[in-house]
Amino acid sequence: MITMITKRDGRRVPFEQEKIETAIVKAFAASQSQKGQETARELADLVVKALESNENISATPTVEEVQDAVEAILIEKGFVRTAKAYILYRAERSRVREMNTRLMKTYEDIAFKDAADSDVKRENANINGDSAMGAMLKFGSEGAKQFYDIYVLNPKHAEAHRAGNIHIHDLDFLTLTTTCCQIDLLELFKDGFSTGHGVLREPQDIASYSALACIAIQANQNDQHGGQSIVNFDYGMAPGVRKTYQKRFRDNIARLLEAEHDVPDGTALARDMLEAVKAQTGLVPAMADDPAFHEALHKELSQHIPADAAERLLTLARRFSDREIIKATFQAMEALVHNLNTMNSRAGAQVPFSSINYGTDTSPEGRLVMEQLLLATEAGLGRGETPIFPIQIFRVKEGINYNPEDPNYDLFRLAIRTSAKRLFPNFSFLDAPYNLQYYKPGHPETEVSYMGCRTRVMGNAHDRNREVSPRRGNLSFTSINLPRIAIEAHGNVQWFFEELERMLDLVYEQLNERFEIIARKKVYNFPFLMGQHVWMDSETLNWDDEVREVLKHGTLTAGFIGLAEALVALRGKHHGQSEESQNLGLEIVGFMRSYLDRKSAETNLNYTLIATPAEGLSGRFVRIDRERYGVIPGVTDRDYYTNSFHIPVYFPINAFEKITLEGPYHALTNAGHITYVEMDGDPMHNLEAFEKIVRHMHDCGVGYGSINHPVDRDPVCGFNGIIGDTCPQCGRAEEEHQFERIRRITGYLVGTLDRFNNGKRAEERDRVKHALEDCSC
Amino acid sequence: MRIAGTVNDSIVDGPGLRFTVFTQGCPHACPGCHNPDTHDPQGGYDADTDDLIAKMKKNPLLDGLTLSGGEPFVQSAPCIVLAQAARAQGLNVWAYSGFTYEELLAHPDPQVQELLLLCDVLVDGRFELEQRSLELRFRGSRNQRLIDLPATRAAGQVVCWTPPVW
Repeated sequence: MITMITKRDGRRVPFEQEKIETAIVKAFAASQSQKGQETARELADLVVKALESNENISATPTVEEVQDAVEAILIEKGFVRTAKAYILYRAERSRVREMNTRLMKTYEDIAFKDAADSDVKRENANINGDSAMGAMLKFGSEGAKQFYDIYVLNPKHAEAHRAGNIHIHDLDFLTLTTTCCQIDLLELFKDGFSTGHGVLREPQDIASYSALACIAIQANQNDQHGGQSIVNFDYGMAPGVRKTYQKRFRDNIARLLEAEHDVPDGTALARDMLEAVKAQTGLVPAMADDPAFHEALHKELSQHIPADAAERLLTLARRFSDREIIKATFQAMEALVHNLNTMNSRAGAQVPFSSINYGTDTSPEGRLVMEQLLLATEAGLGRGETPIFPIQIFRVKEGINYNPEDPNYDLFRLAIRTSAKRLFPNFSFLDAPYNLQYYKPGHPETEVSYMGCRTRVMGNAHDRNREVSPRRGNLSFTSINLPRIAIEAHGNVQWFFEELERMLDLVYEQLNERFEIIARKKVYNFPFLMGQHVWMDSETLNWDDEVREVLKHGTLTAGFIGLAEALVALRGKHHGQSEESQNLGLEIVGFMRSYLDRKSAETNLNYTLIATPAEGLSGRFVRIDRERYGVIPGVTDRDYYTNSFHIPVYFPINAFEKITLEGPYHALTNAGHITYVEMDGDPMHNLEAFEKIVRHMHDCGVGYGSINHPVDRDPVCGFNGIIGDTCPQCGRAEEEHQFERIRRITGYLVGTLDRFNNGKRAEERDRVKHALEDCSC
Repeated sequence: MRIAGTVNDSIVDGPGLRFTVFTQGCPHACPGCHNPDTHDPQGGYDADTDDLIAKMKKNPLLDGLTLSGGEPFVQSAPCIVLAQAARAQGLNVWAYSGFTYEELLAHPDPQVQELLLLCDVLVDGRFELEQRSLELRFRGSRNQRLIDLPATRAAGQVVCWTPPVW
């Protein structure tokens, strides 16, 4: 007599025969059998008898044993189709159960393992997985991923993601939001904005401009899962400098009137005079000293004090104001850099993923903003540390800052000097043909902007009249595992392209299904992004309107990993090793691009191609593929696949060749791209070399590029440079206090190597500085 | 010629991107030398100057050739070939030597003089550990000088190279 049963987790509970009956009834229903409860009861009786008479089964059988017996009896009694339904039901139950077990295992890791031992906790290099909020974020993220996997995703897409054919990025946000946005500060600041806890007036001083820029980034970051970028930092901050200068100049006039000429209320008099000047000439105090303004104000002043005293007062007021505006702007920029590195937003002690674009504003105010920002960046944080954020992107443009005769050439040089010390700014190139085609002089919105990580949004199939960067961004992206297709092609390039097209079909379908989920959201789901009209056209929507139409300004993006390994699998050599491989590489990437262009033309939605920034992904694909196909030299024999179209980091190649080979891929990847050059040595001592490389990027059609070099710092003696095992300045070893080592991971700087996941650590270890060539010394 | 190796795109052996040839064999053997493996004249490997020149020509981003070592002035003949090729390509030439400029000028070997004439800048003098500093640009110890050779010859006295201002 069976009275107890052993559950999967080992617990013993009372045996209930009715449960067997219920399962059989469900199986009958699933196979559309006419049989019902009565037959089920008879069969259940037989099951119990079979269990009791089986000598191999104990008095408290396990759940598995009971289910085996049910299957056997169903088949024995001729209910073959019902048995099949029962088996399917068991399999599905056990998949869900495994998921639950796996989820619980993941939760256990999050709760009890240190980030040092857990790749899950280090997946995102910007999150401290050891902190309470970081761990809470991981609980949510891992739970959401598994929920979507079982209940939301199309099983076809879930399976392709699980198997490593594709990678659905930011899966934990599948049902929640979109990736990123280029914030237009000029638009946002007009008439002020609200963060939901009160309204901020339009700023009136450079200090508040910089503070509000940080708040905008922070607030918008909570509505999206990716980074936030400011599209026009120079143009956006310049009005703040302009307003500050006006105030300072007026205050200086007022003070001088009181101090030197015993005017009782200098403030009132200064205000009246400046208003009179404005009424007569339309001019206000500005950094560029207009002779007409000077003359008009001198005339006003001369009514109250002698003419030569008025001249002296104006000279002093100008001198003081010029001095103060530099200091005020430096402090505002210093505050911005400090804020963006310390201001936690989102759970997990993340600072916002922030980027800022600038370089082309030639007004004195915009130039001052850039100069002081670069100087503040060069100076570093409180103890001279290298700022991790914001990612700065200096826009290079012929006629504006590229050549010695250009008005902002001095800032280009300062940008180079800063980057040689601090790794930022990166450089974007408006002269690359695919960027230049949008450029209209005098229209800053037509200057291409990049997200720090490389994302680019420019063309607009949804609205051809607004092919601009501001107020748009990526909606979601999914990457294709190119080496996998190449391995399975067994050298058959024709099949490779056919399979690649099938994979693109799958990604296209998946992007659309994801779009459909997000498109149904309402404005109130994005209180800042849409509610405060950061996103293009969101001002045309009401609070509870669907966001579908305005989202169409964003991009739906396919990406790829491991072109180099795919080429090795197909042809034995990657594109750094053979010209034929380079030709094939360009055809592969061109094929993906034309597929997406075709879809855009058919649907008027923005399907674009990105050279994927592969944070957690670079290790995941190769791990799965090595398990499947074993170690294939040059393909699966490292701990990571090479990023997008890059020449492998371990391959020795000089900067000239690397840039020349990677340049053409930039034109094909319209959703974003980046080329890195690794420099061996401290470029601060050789800025000529740094400039040479930046200029070659410009000449090779690179859209966005950056130079990596080791930036280490000894917190004890303050040395900043390259540190090996011991500090070259004070000679101490690393034992007591760790050296700070700044490296770049998927475009973001990371303070120590601890938070790199395993794939990334291996990649950093293998990076070849592009100088070394058969050097034995 | 006997060399220890080459570096393409070097940024630490002179301004801009440079092709650096480390000659093998050095009579100075300064204590604390950065490249002690280059001292033994039997070490390193044989290289053909034509191959080195071909490599140099393949990199259009180069600003200059740097002859380092080792001691380049004990292998002046092949170094002259490299320096001439570099100049023909429009590159400037830097040379590192453990000898001082004055010692080289007094050297009886005419090829040493010929090589000197082909160089734009000479980084001269032995590496002295007690004068070591990390803040020096393109040199290891304070006693070493970056000598602008054409300016020096024109002035009749040692003129130091002035780095570009940023």
